[in-house]
Amino acid sequence: MRDYIRLAGILFFVCAIAAAALGFTNSATYDRIQEQQVIASAEAKKAVLPDAEEFENLDEAALTEIKSNTKYNYITEIYVAKAAGNVIGYAIQVAPKGYGGEVEVVVGITNDGNIQGIKVGNNSETPGLGKKAATADFQDQYVGATWESPIDVIKNATPKGNEIAAISGATITSRAVTDGVNQALEAARELSGK
Amino acid sequence: MNLWKDFSNGLLKENPTFRLVLGTCPTLAITTAVFNGIGMGIAATAVLVGSNLIISLIKKVVPNEVRIPIYVIVIATFTTIVQMVIKAYSPALDKSLGLYIPLIVVNCIIIARAEAFAAKNPVINSIMDGLGMGLGFTVAITIISAVREVLGAGTFFGMQLFGANFEPALIMILPPGGFLVFGLSIAAFNKIMSLRKV
Repeated sequence: MRDYIRLAGILFFVCAIAAAALGFTNSATYDRIQEQQVIASAEAKKAVLPDAEEFENLDEAALTEIKSNTKYNYITEIYVAKAAGNVIGYAIQVAPKGYGGEVEVVVGITNDGNIQGIKVGNNSETPGLGKKAATADFQDQYVGATWESPIDVIKNATPKGNEIAAISGATITSRAVTDGVNQALEAARELSGK
Repeated sequence: MNLWKDFSNGLLKENPTFRLVLGTCPTLAITTAVFNGIGMGIAATAVLVGSNLIISLIKKVVPNEVRIPIYVIVIATFTTIVQMVIKAYSPALDKSLGLYIPLIVVNCIIIARAEAFAAKNPVINSIMDGLGMGLGFTVAITIISAVREVLGAGTFFGMQLFGANFEPALIMILPPGGFLVFGLSIAAFNKIMSLRKV
């Protein structure tokens, strides 16, 4: 019996030291990690809408209303892009379900309904296949697509108009990204009132 | 002399991947690109050296009955600290390795070396063992990654190797390709080792 108490005591002691070490590291790195995430998110927005001078959060009520609509179930964040005080477009973050979980995508849409760029962020897709969604080759296909008609994913053919070619071996990921982009387009259209 | 032996042990004679066949989960999962192989190897080596060091330091005070949970705590704590530091100071590295760092906790090479080596040997030897095993693991998974990336994606380190008409053998970067290359590499390595002895 005494032996068990001794062992439990030692285990408790080791855990306490480990917890203290982790707590200390966390407090030392927490602010920097938050800062890095803010920088990364600002860079992503800037990359998809290079003309914007600043990004403002869409006001709470409007965002809640959009999110409560089931056809916008992938939308997580919406930012209003401004230049010289005027609204020039929207940066919309979506998180559609890919092959290995949620795929974060930021879509930059101008006021007149064109995609200026998309950026695929955090994801758990298969390295070498689905992860290719984050390459410029794939992302650039979306540039210039409009909200007039939804984007289609096609395989083994040359895309034209509002079509993009799927990544070979990663159709699910390609579809997921496209579904997210289509929701973003629809939402941007609604927001701009056109 | 002895230190060198502890170091080189992990490279050939007891190569963790090809000879001990440890850490097969990360080996199969991440060897789809050379960059991943090297990154995972370096990250695992850092944790391996750190956990070997600490476990060797505390080996006298750890009671035999609860040594395994204590090793697990040490390794998990170390991995989490490494992850937080990388997140804070090198977001680019975190972005490319993010998924693999927590995987290090379950890399059985680390707990195997803690149990088989660090718990019985002096601190300096344990560090050398960690470095050697880590390097052996890194080299092994880099070789597997290179084969799979070249055949399966037609690239090496992300650089296009062949013309646009090259149709990569997609199966090589899918899970079956991992088993194929892993099995063939073990066979090749064993053949080479058996020739050496004669």
